[in-house]
Amino acid sequence: MPKHKPPRHTPTIDMTAMCDVSFLLLTFFMLTAKAKPQEPVVVDTPSSISETKLPESGTLTILIDKEGKVFLDMAGQHTRYALINEINSQYQLGLTEDEKKKFSIFGAFGVPRKDLRKWLAMNSTERQNAANFPGIPSDTVGNELGPWIHNARLAQFRLKQEGVVPEEYVIVIKADKDTPYPAIQKVLNTLSDINVNKFNLITNMETDPNKIQGL
Amino acid sequence: MAEIQTAESGARKKGEGKVRAKKLSTRVDLTPMVDLAFLLITFFMLTTTLAKPQIMPVVMPEKKIEKEDVVETKESQVLTLLLGANDKVYYYEGITDPKLDSTDFSAEGLRKVILDKKRRVKEEWGDMERDDPKNPGQKKMISRLNVLIKPTKESRYKNLVDAFDEMKITNVAMYVLLDISEQEEEFIRNPAGGLKFSVEEQIEAIQKSVKKTQ
Repeated sequence: MPKHKPPRHTPTIDMTAMCDVSFLLLTFFMLTAKAKPQEPVVVDTPSSISETKLPESGTLTILIDKEGKVFLDMAGQHTRYALINEINSQYQLGLTEDEKKKFSIFGAFGVPRKDLRKWLAMNSTERQNAANFPGIPSDTVGNELGPWIHNARLAQFRLKQEGVVPEEYVIVIKADKDTPYPAIQKVLNTLSDINVNKFNLITNMETDPNKIQGL
Repeated sequence: MAEIQTAESGARKKGEGKVRAKKLSTRVDLTPMVDLAFLLITFFMLTTTLAKPQIMPVVMPEKKIEKEDVVETKESQVLTLLLGANDKVYYYEGITDPKLDSTDFSAEGLRKVILDKKRRVKEEWGDMERDDPKNPGQKKMISRLNVLIKPTKESRYKNLVDAFDEMKITNVAMYVLLDISEQEEEFIRNPAGGLKFSVEEQIEAIQKSVKKTQ
């Protein structure tokens, strides 16, 4: 008997279903996507049982990295512009209009005021490298963090009065879990100096042990 | 192209009668499209933050404390936590000749200490009534226990958050973050020496740590 050869099929698989699924997923991710904020330092936050969510907008973030360097980031282009205008005239930094515009769209910064111009001249890769920045001075002597936060809140408050922005700033502190306490203390003292007594600490989620036990 | 087609159709007319359009398969190979879709999915998955971070609200005391605002408390209602190096917590009760103990942040450690102290405070003094912030106009019972949290210079940020967290878990309503005093630092170094810290000094230290930044 001659050998029976099964007819050769080209192994085509109908990709339509797979295509459907993948595009469904793609649509889902695109719609839920919110770009990760670009931060110059990687901060590993500690966990807590708190269930309050971070507000979507109107936050002023104080970043503190492992070494205790302080960075500042705030939302809102208009506020940032008003802030840099104020700081520029208060401390005679002599920034040009172009540099002010740049400040209003850039993200977190961590340089003393005198180096602000250098920071503004950096490209985006350099701005993401924390090694380039010494952090904002937050010691009792020569404290620059206080004026920054105070003026930012003031600017936001004024813009709220004018109806440009919907809310006042929510102050959040995002610190690394290994940050030594003295660095945190400096920031807390600065906040108390400018009468900010309510703020929030960013934490990861942890399960409440009372809920597990059903208490 | 159109010309060729007409020529062909003309030739066919001579031979067979009917012209049938050649049936083309409508199947499209979707593999590259799937590839692309998955590539984009991967991109979006990696660049998004799905889970929004949690925040822990903190309210600090005002810088200026008026005399009228000061509420006196009993010594036996006070527990002081000193957050030390290497995730250790030292604690002592009251102020007169206290005994220093140490524990850790585990559920069996600090939580037990606080719950135990809370129970003893309740047995001795009972609970007190206070306005419920969640339901305005209503009262709720809270523990009279006061916890003073004092981080040392060697402690790290995680310890502070853990301590705040523990207050929430054990339902302690009254707690405050204060600066550590020299006497207490000495107490940690040499527990046998006892705490040389009077009530007046404690009050002064609290006022100093609140007003220090002026």
